[in-house]
Amino acid sequence: MLKKNRKLQNYSHLAVAFHLPAFLTLTAITLGPLLYTLKISFFDYKISSAGSENVFVGLQNYIRMFQDMEFWNSMGKTFLFMFFAVILEVALGIILAMALNSIIRFQRVFTSLTLIPMMVAPLIIGLMFSFFLNPQFGLYVWLVDTLHLPLPTILTDSPVLAMIVVILMDVWEWAPYMGLVFLAGLQSISGEYYEAAKVDGASGSQIFRYVTLPLMKPVLVVGILLRAMETFKEFDKPFILTGGGPGNATEVIDIFTYRQAFVSFNFSYAAAVCVVLFIVLQICGMFYQKFAMGGEE
Amino acid sequence: MQKSKKRKLIGIYIFLIIFLIIALLPYFWLILTSFKTRVDAFAIPPKVFFQATLSNYREAFLDKGFLLNLKNSIIIMLATVGIGLGLGLPSAYAFSRFKTGRDKLLLNYLLGTRFTPVVVLALPLYLLMSKVRLLDSFVGIVIAHVAFNLPFVIWMMKGFFDAIPKEIDEAARVDGYSWFNVFLRIDVPLAKSGLAATAVFCAINSWNEFLMALILTGRHTATMPVGVPGLLTPQGTIWGQIAAVGTVITIPVLIFAILVQKHMIAGMTMGAVK
Repeated sequence: MLKKNRKLQNYSHLAVAFHLPAFLTLTAITLGPLLYTLKISFFDYKISSAGSENVFVGLQNYIRMFQDMEFWNSMGKTFLFMFFAVILEVALGIILAMALNSIIRFQRVFTSLTLIPMMVAPLIIGLMFSFFLNPQFGLYVWLVDTLHLPLPTILTDSPVLAMIVVILMDVWEWAPYMGLVFLAGLQSISGEYYEAAKVDGASGSQIFRYVTLPLMKPVLVVGILLRAMETFKEFDKPFILTGGGPGNATEVIDIFTYRQAFVSFNFSYAAAVCVVLFIVLQICGMFYQKFAMGGEE
Repeated sequence: MQKSKKRKLIGIYIFLIIFLIIALLPYFWLILTSFKTRVDAFAIPPKVFFQATLSNYREAFLDKGFLLNLKNSIIIMLATVGIGLGLGLPSAYAFSRFKTGRDKLLLNYLLGTRFTPVVVLALPLYLLMSKVRLLDSFVGIVIAHVAFNLPFVIWMMKGFFDAIPKEIDEAARVDGYSWFNVFLRIDVPLAKSGLAATAVFCAINSWNEFLMALILTGRHTATMPVGVPGLLTPQGTIWGQIAAVGTVITIPVLIFAILVQKHMIAGMTMGAVK
């Protein structure tokens, strides 16, 4: 007993030594800057007036934010984007996972190729979409014209259509990923459940509804929460394709924050938005830990 | 019965092939466009067969100076991977081997960083770096990239170290190795396939990253993604050159991603799905 205790003691010194470089660095380059953000959110720091960094304004930036229609517009757009993107990604992901799970030949080739869209820089995806949708020579316009499809040729001029395109762009990038996550879930389900269901005379749709879906719940939760959080960080693709426009129809919260901070240079106001964003994401993160990683520790 | 099953399977293959065509055609098109002349790129109906040219690559990388962006991207990527692994490996090892009561707290701290939006960290880093003149320096952007990759490294490598049997450490300890040497000379080499996957993961993250680089780099340190919007000029977008730069950004990622694919899902869900 005594010996074991000493061993533990010994470990804790080692643990400190091994953890110190990483955690000191991380604290210096993330926690420190984040606390600085918190601090300036109570000041009136903007580039337009010198010395404004030291003007304490209390909660004024937060009050302004809650009264700012543009902020609420962006929050609304973000949730709209999140809602439809995640639903479509989950639905397509399930279909894709089941398709991949039911084939044997070429399964590895198909899974490898499915991996590609999510590995490519989101920026490039935004560029490819703007190339594809280009009104003068894009493939899309040509397709609509030659096939006489009853579809509008210019998509990014209408607020609703632009949002749909931004959502589809995300679905296009991430549905394959959801498919692979769900495939991992499907493959972990023991075949015995299916055998038992078949013996009991369950039909295909009954098996899906009462066997597959409940057993897939943990991975579904992982996928949904992860994507929901990631959609909160959406920036690159809409920034390149629409720049948040037309008007601010596709100005998701990260583009709004970027504009406040680096176009209007209202540092303190942007900082207040950042603080709120940070808190929202940390709450989502706690859910993720609780429901998705519960079994880990 | 047998026949309908076969028909169903064929249906599934057709679905998957259509899916992959939709998912991958744009890349194919991007690569094709990068080898087209201006006239061919604009041709309607789009040309699949054309006289290939390297002029887009020459103009973008030599005349427009994207060679510098390429060099910057590589420097920043290598530094991020090196520093990320250097700092992260010991910590990941300690999580695996030297468990203490505070591990859970520390792991939560890492996750918290993982869940922080880039823009939230970009603002204070920009303001602080402008004070100490680190904007448009390699140090500045590498700090930002390390901030996001370090939690990844620790989390992923913890899993790989966990997979190495502890008996091996004990044997080495009996042979007189110090813990540091057990870590460095025994366990790190044993975890080398995991190490490679982690390194590739970080490299791709840094290589693709846009927002931080847009804010923190400048004329001397701009990475390739940051340079691309510069080609979207008011006088008209130079698609051929954009495609050329896009191809150079994309191809290495594709090759490396395929190499480490089996670790990809675990890495991207922070280990929630194996």
